[in-house]
Order: sequence, then structure tokens, then C-alpha cells
Amino acid sequence: MTDAVHEMPGHGSSHPRLSGTVRHVILIAICFVMIYPILWMLSGSLRPASELFGGDAGLIPSQVTVEAYPKGWFGLQINFGQFFLNSLVIAVLATIGNVLAASLVAYAFARLQFWGRGFWFALMLGTLMLPYHVTLIPQYVLFRSLDWVNTWWPLILPKYFAVDAFFIFLMVQFFRGIPKELDEAARMDGCSAWRIYWKIILPLSMPVLATAAIFSFIWTWEDFFGPLIYISEMRNYTVQLGLRSFIDSSGTSSWNELFAMSVLSLVPIFLIFLFFQRLLIEGIATTGMKR
Amino acid sequence: MGAIRRNGAGYLFLSPWLIGFFCLTLGPALASLYLSFTRFDLLNAPEFIGAQNYVRMVTADPKFMASMKVTLIYVALSVPLKLAFALAVAMVLNRGMRGLPIYRAVFYLPSLLGTSVAIAVLWRQLFAADGMVNGILAQFGIIGPSWISNPNYSIYTLVVLSVWQFGSPMIIFLAGLRQIPTDMYEAASLDGASPSRQFWRITLPLLSPVIFFNLVIQVIEAFKAFTPAFVISGGSGGPINSTLFYTLYLYQEGFSYFRMGYASALAWVLVAIIAVFTAISFLTTKYWVHYDD
Repeated sequence: MTDAVHEMPGHGSSHPRLSGTVRHVILIAICFVMIYPILWMLSGSLRPASELFGGDAGLIPSQVTVEAYPKGWFGLQINFGQFFLNSLVIAVLATIGNVLAASLVAYAFARLQFWGRGFWFALMLGTLMLPYHVTLIPQYVLFRSLDWVNTWWPLILPKYFAVDAFFIFLMVQFFRGIPKELDEAARMDGCSAWRIYWKIILPLSMPVLATAAIFSFIWTWEDFFGPLIYISEMRNYTVQLGLRSFIDSSGTSSWNELFAMSVLSLVPIFLIFLFFQRLLIEGIATTGMKR
Repeated sequence: MGAIRRNGAGYLFLSPWLIGFFCLTLGPALASLYLSFTRFDLLNAPEFIGAQNYVRMVTADPKFMASMKVTLIYVALSVPLKLAFALAVAMVLNRGMRGLPIYRAVFYLPSLLGTSVAIAVLWRQLFAADGMVNGILAQFGIIGPSWISNPNYSIYTLVVLSVWQFGSPMIIFLAGLRQIPTDMYEAASLDGASPSRQFWRITLPLLSPVIFFNLVIQVIEAFKAFTPAFVISGGSGGPINSTLFYTLYLYQEGFSYFRMGYASALAWVLVAIIAVFTAISFLTTKYWVHYDD
């Protein structure tokens, strides 16, 4: 790989270049600017309510207190524990649906021979470009007629029908890289398509399944538009909706509590990022899609 | 026999997507196309009114014009800035950099967090009258305006938020830069080509397929942006429609005023804009995108 070449110091471009130290100084400065707002939010969440922290651009509170956390947690009629639980259930069920459905469909596209495969594949790719706003209103009418408004079904069920083509695309790319000899040998031994999918393809595809699961979880967790449209009762709220209500109800007097809940809402994503950043970055680099 | 069985297995595995495609994508898309020619308030049956929704948009709806203007400004500013920044940082990171994984991870983090409500909340407070940005400006004796509640500046806070999330295109640029053989630069510098000449003659042409890809994806994403504008303006798109993103206006029409026929028409105009943009991008590729073969 080219990596080996890049890591040899002095190799590569021989034109006059920025010295290593200057580069690091620039990069560290950019990192600092990028991360500063997040640290500032964290610091704001640890300040007492009495401290008017808005205009203080520094990171050090005059007095550190965690009082904003319990106050914010119980700041609405229903506490944030319920919102976190709701978000978790929705995100986990949606993730299972995405991974299951997308892997089945991707297996068909990558490995099975059937009439019209190219046609369906092209259609599937076409839906990648389609903004969801086009299906929004009829879907709303449909779910409303099923009496599913103010339930989690509209947020979960579509994932079991592989509506997010991104995941299919991601998996097709990966499945195509698995040596065909493996499933041909299995077919000679009389394995069904299902057994090949379950016993050969899936076990060899753990990296891509994990990548899809992680993206799916994060995007569902962060989704604001879906819950905003479908969920009306507070006991069904997700964390994102809870935060929105908190802005409306708290006003400017309790920014520390709003910050505290905002920080907590980012914790799950941050933890995933910490443990799986390599998978995320490889997923972005290979398919190049979305965020 | 074998062919039928094979087709059967294929369609069985395909069935989740096929059901989803017909019931949740194609069916609804056609339905919304029809609804876009109706007046529909969810309670009464849709009433066919011809092209009135589309006519009203361009002749009698200043809010539509305002939202279109805001969105186009947002796309035209945020996408080039974000991509330029992503490319610049990717080039600094690219060759023989120690600590690359750490830098890459830190730069990517905002992309991952960016669309959550928490970050929009943060942005609202960063650029508030007594926010962090004005706190910093005050150190230099400058009294900053209330960025969020001033219609002249509010859109730029959202542009900054978008540029802050340059990490994911940067990762794609990094992957693209790795494909450029280093001996091309060596040969060029032996011939005495300056770094800027190397950038214009080697890096940019060889990277153009990746730039093209990033451009298309980012423009589509920018047209679809919603959450930050919603949270920062409290759902109103204010002040004076200055953050009324197109999708926010569509949401208001559909789900605040229940003008669902009109909202469907807005959705189809969005599709048309994205389709035209994508088509232009693809048609002009032969002039500026360089492919190997």
C-alpha cells in the first residue's frame, strides 16, 4: 500500500514544504478552535445558575458545580431518563432493522442471479438521491390512517423494509469483495442461498455490519425531523425532542441546565466515536456518503 | 426449473426492499406528485386545483421566495467554503504526518455530532448577544451584535456551523489524495515545477472525481438542512425569514398550517432543483473532471 511510502520521512514531495513543527502548530490550532465550543458547553454545564456565563468566553468556571445536571434531568414534567430510554429503544430497534434488511437485500444484489437485477439495482441507487420530503406527506397520511401517529412505529418499521438505500449500497460494496469461490464451493455441497448468507457471508462481513449498525444508531439517535412530526405526547419523546421542549420552557435563566442535558445527549455518540472511530472513518472513506 | 428457483431465491431476499420501495417510496412519491396539484388539509379529501400551487409559489408567495433565497445563499456559501477548508486541511495532513489518526478523528467529530439538537443549542448560545463569540470580541474591545437575532447575520452563523463540519468531506479527500502516485510530484519537482503549479496541474486534476463527488453530495445535503435553522430560530425561520431554510418552510406549510397539497408541491420543486443541479454537474464533468481512461 501507499501508506508505507507516506510514512517514510522525507520521502514524497521534495518541493519546499512546511516544516513538521509548523504543520503541527497549524493543525493543533485548528483542532483547538474546532473543539473549543464543545469544551465551552461542557464548562457552561458545570457553572452555577447565578453565574451569567454567556459572556464569559473562558473555560474555567469561578465555581464548579454539577447542580445543573439533576435540575435539568427533572426540569420537564417527565424526566430525561424516560427520553433516554425512548431514544435507546427506538435506535436499537431501528438499527436491527437496518442491518437485517439491508444485508438481505445487499446479498441478493451482490450474489444472487435473478431476472431484472440490474434494473432494481439502478432504481435502488436512484433512491439515494431522492430527498425524503417527497414521500413525507403521503407517508404521514398512511401512518395516520393506521393510527400510528404518536407511536414509534413510523420511526422504526420503515427500517425493516430497507428504505435507507445507503446501507444496501455500503454492504453490496463489501459483499462483492468476498471471494466468490467460498459460496460456489458451498453451493456444490448443496447449501441453500439462505445458508450461504447466514453461515458464510454474514460471519465474514462483521466489519461492514458493525459500520452500518453504528451509523444507523447515531443517525436514529440524532434524528429530529422524524420524531418532531410523529411524536406529540411527551412520554413518547426522544432525547432530541426533550431538548427542544427544554429550550422552549427554560428561557434564558437556566442555560446551564440546557447545556447539561445537551452534553448528556451527546455522550452516547461520543462513546461510540471513541471506541469505533476507525470503522466510522473507513466507512466514510470507502463509500464517501453522507456525513 | 433451476432458473425459476434461482429467481425465486433472489426475489425472496430482495422482498424487504421491494415492499419498502413500492409502499414507502414509489407509492408515496407518486401520491405526493398528485397531492401537489390539490388543496389538501388532511381532514377533507384532496381537491384538485390544477397547477395553482405551483403558480402561487412563483407569483404570490413572498415566503417561498424568501426561503429560496436563504437556501441558495446557504448552499452557495457553505458548500464551497466547507470543501475548500476540507481540501486544505486534507493536504496539510496528507504526506508523512505523525499523529494523523488523532487529527483526523478530532476533525471528524463535529461532522458526527453536527446535526443533533445539542449542537444547535450550543450554536445559539455561541452567537447570542452575550454569547462566547462576543465574549471573545469584547477582549479586543469590540462590541459584537446579537448574531442570531440580527437578520443580516443570522444566516452566516449557520454557514459557520456547516463549515465547522468539514470533517467528512476531508476524509474523502484524504482517501483521494492517497491515490495520487508520489512519483508524479517527484517528476514534476525535478522539472522545476513550483508547489502551486503542482497543485493546479497534478493535485486538482487527479482529485477532480473526488471533488465532483463531494460537491454533489454536499449540495444535496445543504438543500436538505433543517435542524439547526429550526432550533436556532425556534421553528420560525426568523428573524424576518432570514433563516427560513427551504425544508423549514416546507415543514411549516405541511405541519403547522396543514397545507399539505402546497407542501407536496414544495417537495417536488426541491426534487426538481436537486435533479437539475445533479444533471448539470454530470453534464459538465467532461470539462472539468479528469478520469484516468
